Amino acid sequence: MPRIDAHLHVFARASAEFPRETSALFPADREAPVETLLVEMEAHRIHQAVLVQLGGTNTEHHAYLLHCLKAYPDRFLGIGLIPPDTPDPETHMDRLAHATGVIGFRLTSIGGPRDPFARIDVRDFETYRIWKRAAENDYVLWLYPQAIDAHLIPYLLEAFPQVRVVVNHLGICPGEGKFSWDTKGRPQVETPMYNPAFHTTYRLARYENVTVHLSGQYAFSKEAFPYRDLARWHERLLSNYGAKRLMWATDFPWILEDPGYGPLTDIIKELLPDLSTDEYHDIMGRTAKTFLRFPNRTAG
Amino acid sequence: MIRPTETQSLQWAEKGCLVFENAIQGDELQRLQDAFDYWAEKCKPAWLDRVAAGEASATFYDIPNVLEKDEIFVDIVDHPSYYGNLMAFTDDDLIFLAPQVRLVPPWPLSYTGWHPDVPQSNPLHIKVQIYVNDVEPGCGEFSFVPGSHKPDAGPYSRVHRLESMPGHKTFPGKAGSAIMFNSYGWHTAMDNHTDTPRKSIILIYEKRTPERVDSKRFTSIAHYCTTPERRQLFGLES
Repeated sequence: MPRIDAHLHVFARASAEFPRETSALFPADREAPVETLLVEMEAHRIHQAVLVQLGGTNTEHHAYLLHCLKAYPDRFLGIGLIPPDTPDPETHMDRLAHATGVIGFRLTSIGGPRDPFARIDVRDFETYRIWKRAAENDYVLWLYPQAIDAHLIPYLLEAFPQVRVVVNHLGICPGEGKFSWDTKGRPQVETPMYNPAFHTTYRLARYENVTVHLSGQYAFSKEAFPYRDLARWHERLLSNYGAKRLMWATDFPWILEDPGYGPLTDIIKELLPDLSTDEYHDIMGRTAKTFLRFPNRTAG
Repeated sequence: MIRPTETQSLQWAEKGCLVFENAIQGDELQRLQDAFDYWAEKCKPAWLDRVAAGEASATFYDIPNVLEKDEIFVDIVDHPSYYGNLMAFTDDDLIFLAPQVRLVPPWPLSYTGWHPDVPQSNPLHIKVQIYVNDVEPGCGEFSFVPGSHKPDAGPYSRVHRLESMPGHKTFPGKAGSAIMFNSYGWHTAMDNHTDTPRKSIILIYEKRTPERVDSKRFTSIAHYCTTPERRQLFGLES
């Protein structure tokens, strides 16, 4: 059975070969190299993974991602980023996706009316052209929207039913001012247990072109691994979406220190103990394999 | 107090829901609509801030602390149009738990799916939904699966297309209509395909049990509760 980590990040130290943005929390000498990832994947029998761009949206910032995709073409697929101020998102998308292994793009903003009672015309949304291009060229859209944008998604799904959409990290849509970094250098997102996403992203199960990641638990939980306070969210996603539309992921490298890559490969059994064998295999890799069209691996 | 007719009692037992057309009408309905609209507008900026902060959903909006805002919201809790039914169905041992004064914007999906509110192990739990504006078919109307409140009913599945739920009945209605339903039963709000928001009030009751009585819950409206019956309904005295 394929075992696929459907969302993680690798990045190199900032250099002329691999330029990227830096910050106090993301300094130039911080790295999460693909070699470290491969050791963890081998040790825990994870066959393939989705590498999600980090460290900048410009084409040159994607150098390390493209390097990894080229070096391991049957191991990885890639998700790129789009500069928010680009006048020509279509060219940026096409350039990054042309024969590189980049299959889609991550969006953290939708760019429509803030007021849910406002008149809606998707052609006015800031990301409309991105969705349109995704529909034209079969790109996957990888969504981690802000809370204020969550209600806008179904309008785009109605307009572009052919676009494959992956909603990240349990469907959570972070609120303004609720994002921080903990002492272990991990993202933290303060989220109420009665999760507003129950009434937004969880409702997107109606659309068959939408799948959801079971990932990022460390960022939302108020408990230590295995984050049992989030079991109900997992059960609810399973009930709404079914295992064939859920994908397990680790969000490497943020989890390397706590709880570690190995424990996270067991989190689905911990939080959804009543899954059938088939459902378990779907979540651990078969959904990602079919939905994202991972290649068959040529070697061990 | 207007007690249920034999037909109403039978329908409540068999179907688990009852409709009271024109339960609220005339000047009283106008007062309710005015208060609803006034407070909805006044509280909207704070709700939008909570949506942005990830603390509230953008797909529906409850006016907070509404009982303190206008006496009309207290008056509908024991409204004679349906209060006698509530009392009869709980053996005259009723407690009010909470109101949800709810505005639902148009959206391609319903903000909720098919669900029961409580398991059969819960004491009898009843909701009354009052339409504040006309709710036409396809405008987010309440829907219920008659008979699904019975212990041996089902099983039911959470179908994605709400209209695919076997045996369901939709309840469009005029402003002032009230729908009473047993919360063991499966229900939802249908999709709203119009440009009109749905305005409704959901009143939540339960058969009284000691665990549910909280004499402090409604102290802020004690001045509206001048009869022993109302004080008991709001848990202000046992």
